[in-house]
Amino acid sequence: MEHIRTPKVENVRLVDRVSPKKAALGTLYLTATHVIFVENSPDTRKETWILHSQISTIEKQATTATGCPLLIRCKNFQIIQLIIPQERDCHDVYVSLIRLARPVKYEELYCFSFNPMLDKEEREQGWVLINLSEEYKRMGLPNNYWQLSDVNREYRVCDSYPTELYVPKSATAHIIVGSSKFRSRRRFPVLSYYYKDNHASICRSSQPLSGFSARCLEDEQMLQAIRKANPGSDFVYVVDTRPKLNAMANRAAGKGYENEDNYSNIKFQFIGIENIHVMRNSLQKMLEVCELKSPSMSDFLWGLENSGWLRHIKAIMDAGIFIAKAVSEEGASVLVHCSDGWDRTAQVCSVASLLLDPHYRTLKGFMVLIEKDWISFGHKFNHRYGNLDGDPKEISPVIDQFIECVWQLMEQFPCAFEFNERFLIHIQHHIYSCQFGNFLCNSQKERRELKIQERTYSLWAHLWKNRADYLNPLFRADHSQTQGTLHLPTTPCNFMYKFWSGMYNRFEKGMQPRQSVTDYLMAVKEETQQLEEELEALEERLEKIQKVQLNCTKVKSKQSEPSRHSGFSTSDNSIANTPQDYSGNMKSFPSRSPSQGDEDSALILTQDNLKSSDPDLSANSDQESGVEDLSCRSPSGGEHAPSEDSGKDRDSDEAVFLTA
Amino acid sequence: EIHTNEKEVTEKEVTLHLLPGEQVLCEASTVLKYVQEDSSQHGVYGRLVCTDFKIAFLGDDESALDNDETQFKNKVIGENDITLHCVDQIYGVFDEKKKTLFGQLKKYPEKLIIHCKDLRVFQFCLRYTKEEEVKRIVSGIIHHTQAPKLLKRLFLFSYATAAENNTVTDPKNHTVMFDSLKDWCWELERTKGNMKYKAVSVNEGYEVCERLPAYFVIPTPLPEENVQRFQGHGIPIWCWSCHNGSALLKMSALPKEQDDGILQIQKSFLDRIYKTIHRPPYEIVKTEDLSSNFLSLQEIQTAYSKFKQLFLIDNSTEFWDTDIKWFSLLESSSWLDIIRRCLKKAIEITECMEAQNMNVLLLEENASDLCCLISSLVQLMMDPHCRTRIGFQSLIQKEWVMGGHCFLDRCNHLRQNDKEEVPVFLLFLDCVWQLVHQHPPAFEFTETYLTVLSDSLYIPIFSTFFFNSPHQKDTNMHQRQLSLPLTQSKSSPKRGFFREETDHLIKNLLGKRISKLINSSDELQDNFREFYDSWHSKPTDYHGLLLPHIEGPEIKVWAQRYLRWIPEAQILGGGRVATMSKLLEMMEEVQSLQEKIDERHHSQQAPQAEAPCLLRNSARLSSLFPFALLQRHSSKPVLPTSGWKALGDEDDLAKQEDEFVDLGDV
Repeated sequence: MEHIRTPKVENVRLVDRVSPKKAALGTLYLTATHVIFVENSPDTRKETWILHSQISTIEKQATTATGCPLLIRCKNFQIIQLIIPQERDCHDVYVSLIRLARPVKYEELYCFSFNPMLDKEEREQGWVLINLSEEYKRMGLPNNYWQLSDVNREYRVCDSYPTELYVPKSATAHIIVGSSKFRSRRRFPVLSYYYKDNHASICRSSQPLSGFSARCLEDEQMLQAIRKANPGSDFVYVVDTRPKLNAMANRAAGKGYENEDNYSNIKFQFIGIENIHVMRNSLQKMLEVCELKSPSMSDFLWGLENSGWLRHIKAIMDAGIFIAKAVSEEGASVLVHCSDGWDRTAQVCSVASLLLDPHYRTLKGFMVLIEKDWISFGHKFNHRYGNLDGDPKEISPVIDQFIECVWQLMEQFPCAFEFNERFLIHIQHHIYSCQFGNFLCNSQKERRELKIQERTYSLWAHLWKNRADYLNPLFRADHSQTQGTLHLPTTPCNFMYKFWSGMYNRFEKGMQPRQSVTDYLMAVKEETQQLEEELEALEERLEKIQKVQLNCTKVKSKQSEPSRHSGFSTSDNSIANTPQDYSGNMKSFPSRSPSQGDEDSALILTQDNLKSSDPDLSANSDQESGVEDLSCRSPSGGEHAPSEDSGKDRDSDEAVFLTA
Repeated sequence: EIHTNEKEVTEKEVTLHLLPGEQVLCEASTVLKYVQEDSSQHGVYGRLVCTDFKIAFLGDDESALDNDETQFKNKVIGENDITLHCVDQIYGVFDEKKKTLFGQLKKYPEKLIIHCKDLRVFQFCLRYTKEEEVKRIVSGIIHHTQAPKLLKRLFLFSYATAAENNTVTDPKNHTVMFDSLKDWCWELERTKGNMKYKAVSVNEGYEVCERLPAYFVIPTPLPEENVQRFQGHGIPIWCWSCHNGSALLKMSALPKEQDDGILQIQKSFLDRIYKTIHRPPYEIVKTEDLSSNFLSLQEIQTAYSKFKQLFLIDNSTEFWDTDIKWFSLLESSSWLDIIRRCLKKAIEITECMEAQNMNVLLLEENASDLCCLISSLVQLMMDPHCRTRIGFQSLIQKEWVMGGHCFLDRCNHLRQNDKEEVPVFLLFLDCVWQLVHQHPPAFEFTETYLTVLSDSLYIPIFSTFFFNSPHQKDTNMHQRQLSLPLTQSKSSPKRGFFREETDHLIKNLLGKRISKLINSSDELQDNFREFYDSWHSKPTDYHGLLLPHIEGPEIKVWAQRYLRWIPEAQILGGGRVATMSKLLEMMEEVQSLQEKIDERHHSQQAPQAEAPCLLRNSARLSSLFPFALLQRHSSKPVLPTSGWKALGDEDDLAKQEDEFVDLGDV
């Protein structure tokens, strides 16, 4: 709190990005965790919440006659422009935010103060929801070829790896330790994914310290052990995800790549995914295009191509496809590495696993995948996403790219994923929000030292609790398309990759996520669910009544059922007017924003007159209004009347659509 | 979903299937049709036949086709059929060199490449064909597809004569044809335009002019004699009325004159007309001059010819070369930008009518190109009736067919003037596609309907899109039926489309009025912005006003039409088809559940019959369904490495490998 120079500024204007002449007048609040703008307009009092950890840059612009403009760019691609009347206030806000947006200690992060009012037991349960030991068991491990190794207990061999690692049975501790000494940061080859059907596996490591001529017997034995663990193939692919030029440059520094002559039966392959600096720069360029107020066709297409962003996405996908094909079609195991084996390697391994295994395309499976390939294997979340003040050159949208790859696949295979776009967007949001402890720190070791699980809550439990919001209505588990490997051409062409406006333009008024066919289906599904639950409740009640009034016949009750239950449904809708009303009735209204259950988080705020409808997404409260209306939930209370109408409309719309 | 009226399950045919009235002109055997354009010269042997309707390839081993993959099939045009009108360009390959073929050939090519207007590409190897047959088939194909043709030679007429008995008009087809006074009155009544506008029959028998339909609608106080004055030019013709009373009108410009006297006469004529429609009960009129400050037809022509090249791909090497520069090539064609401008113009007009309660008068030289495009788009956005299938067809009939769009010239069906070939109607369909794509629940039809419609432009068994005006159609179809000798069929007078011709005139005659009516452009932009933003910030009512998003990222490539033949672009078991088949499955499920409920109500028995399946094997369908049925696994360079790097200036960053930062740590 000592960093907040001024907790409240009045008569601030929030500029509408599309039509700058329109600006909402309101009050700006600075709290320990959020910047909050509350509009003065009495009928809406619309609130805009921004988490400090979401702030990417703050720019003070030249003072004009109307005041002092402040431009805030967020990591979730929201852009906020405020005009503060007094230069001094603006300066105070600016200085405060600069400090608040760049915490220096983990303890300053939101997750240490965020309290969703769960008891200790619930919190602990949340943390065990995603269990990697279970996941390895699901893959069919341990078995005759692979075993759990305790070589890294207490992080003795590699401090960025987890303690629980699977290695080939024939790899002795001596081989592992020897190999680890020959690998950058001691990240020796370990199992990432095991393909039960044909014993092929995806392994990961960092680059070898081969320089121009160095060899390491143990490392060679390690690769041989991986090959032997797959009796179906007599070779192993070694995939270096870097461009060849970069890998060669590394040799001069005593690092580099495997020499095919030294390793028996390996097939070496470069895949040119650029490094984190290129990616950071590319995203920057694409965001400049997104920032254009109303981009022309030409601005957009040129900007998109020049940013190179989609080409980078394609490169990652191409690598994933290559590996998935090697494993499923050739039955060969693959060792993947880049430089340190925690950025490109994580991207490529997880894309390949996603293509191979339908389990990772389910809600829970996807959480497991991120837990495994990203969190446990030591992806540097803290450095890449700038959670704590650090070197800006370490920041890069590595997991963002992975999330986008998943979205691109969802676009291409609309029925293959159990989750929807919103799920991806919310995960991206929380990687930066630091509201949950999952993505803190750079390794498992650091997280244990910080006692993350005892002091913070798990995002996975939160998402799981609200899973109704994240389901893809087109998905069906038993559908042939959702089983087995996704059939992609060897290298899908560039025009199959689309610009993801749902992510990068999601705060643009004109380009909000629209009510697609999918949203309609979701609304229908939700409604069905509500009705079913109501039916159940009514049946229970009926049973009770029947017990009391034994003379009531079964036939009679059956007849009265349909009419009564529809009557119940409408009356319920009209009573519930505010989000608060719903909190006690959560079950029958499965659609709510992810943090609807976390309203209590507002308790930590100093201003108690602020009621929060959506604290963690900190978006405009009408961000998803269209869809929300359909699901019988008014996002900001008080405007419930239209939602009944739209409910009716939906029925008829649906009818038109289905006959189309 | 799938247009069963055009595509049906049929028996396999090994023989050539001829339509009534169709005649074989020439053929060649042992022609090798390349299965894929890969450098691997893989192909199928067969006969290449040219009839007066199509070019057809008959594979020697037709049975090789997998039966259930051909479950859906175009009834008229087979997979290896190209109607003569669908041929765009023909190339010959001589010693590995590709040359355009036309006119008389001295030397015959060893390979024939045919680019189609529906963007298919065919490659035929003639190396194993007898020389005589090569000569006959190549010159036959070139002559029948490229040489100028007389209208009476269109296959349409032979077909109509031969198949006359078969053409029974479907009584269920409610498409309003607008070929009677009654139809126009009905439309006036539907839109409540009958208070201020009247249907007139002054042009019955095309006595006033051949450009206008026999019946049309004009403002009530306007004397019918005025129509005759300049053959229908300078007359505000009603298109549609909005619920608030404002109307969309169109007017073809008066002929350009040098003579001052005539100019004076024209001016006073127009002044009179304007006075009539400027006073109550008419709303304020805003004139929208489409020939001077909007798109030119030439721009459309140039853009499309660049754009289509992106999809006419001879071999996969070429494909992968262009793939790398996909977005910039797309941009340089500016086709998407043209779409965006059309949509924007339509929104502007919608804003005038809806928000400002103004009448809008579209002005164009002949009121038959951009007028048709813009007025149809406005109606599609404002009138939900136009978003039903019947309503959409009626709209096309009203604005395009009766509106006198020169399909014959714009599609260059007669090959008489390449300069006149402009895909205005296709541009319209692409604009509609953007709307359908952005708001699928608002339309009764799907993109597949639009794609099939765009194909039908080149199938000369439907007369809809083969005439320049209703007059031309009536005279020709009529005479044919009566078997009278045709009068010399000349295509309608040349319609130059260069803007300067009308520019001058408009400025002279209407200058003052326009400047008075057009607000400062800033204000205009603000109105537009506000209207656009406020509409998009509200939840969409699919039965009301419908506006498209026109931000750059929201205008997309109509993948189904343009990419459907490209195997590299297919997604096996994915794409929109997956969504569709999934929806059908869900509908089936709902239906069977419904049946279960019904049965429960009627009897206590459990149901046994399963609902019939609509689209089985949906997982095996590719995203190119129902058009291309090939499921070839693309055999492509295994990993294209970052060859594009030269394009960027990121070299320094690429060199700055991330681990260099902390070398000392190791």
